[in-house]
Amino acid sequence: MSLEITISPEQNNGKRISIAGSLDSNTAPQLQSSIDSEISDSVSTAIIDFKDLDFLSSAGLRVIFKTKKIMDGSGGKFLLVNLQPQIKKVFEIIKALDGMNVFKDQEEMDEYLTVMQNKVKDGD
Amino acid sequence: MNKQKTTLSNASSENTVLSEFLLAYIDENNIPTEIIDDLRLVAEETFINICQYAYPCDVTQNIDIEIDHTHDSISITFTDTGFQFNPLTDNTKPMDTENYCDGGMGIHIIRSLTDEQRYKRVEQHNVFTVTKHYT
Repeated sequence: MSLEITISPEQNNGKRISIAGSLDSNTAPQLQSSIDSEISDSVSTAIIDFKDLDFLSSAGLRVIFKTKKIMDGSGGKFLLVNLQPQIKKVFEIIKALDGMNVFKDQEEMDEYLTVMQNKVKDGD
Repeated sequence: MNKQKTTLSNASSENTVLSEFLLAYIDENNIPTEIIDDLRLVAEETFINICQYAYPCDVTQNIDIEIDHTHDSISITFTDTGFQFNPLTDNTKPMDTENYCDGGMGIHIIRSLTDEQRYKRVEQHNVFTVTKHYT
């Protein structure tokens, strides 16, 4: 019941935080620490990738919401992708998906990012 | 019916032991595996809630965990000696985006993922039982 965190760069100074395993009361501080050191005002987009996450508790949710607050405060984008059914269910219980940018998979998120990038290019 | 009991200290790190105890019980008693994730989450939320709120800081106490089941349900009972606190009535925080970082999510998760929740105060003990049905 451990958590594996992989942080990788994305386009335009974005960061992808891929989490695998269990995000619970014991491992949430580990993710918080990684986010504290990797997410700053200069990060344009923070993507949390849940593809290999098996378990999520409220302790983990708090880290996610805290990260969203940081990104909202700096004007950056905060995206959630690849939520597995059990993970999505936890978000839904506390009605937390409203107002979040959630994508079922990479393809759907890429489409969104392309549209957003084109808007920037077109000066919208 | 195969009641099993364990005693943990009120340290959040003990949550791992609780999960292992629960998973072993489910395995040994052929409880339907589709409820594993829900039960593990309910157990964590309840246990962490007790660890965080039942005792003053730096006080080490025991929390008893008892699991039992019938032909169509499983129950987990948490017994602690902390401050009197009924999570079903004393937790009045509304669930909105302003409260996500301040706690209060646990009881909503517990209520949503179990079919029954019962609290009683017995001789200076908080006794909280959650039950989940399965088919």
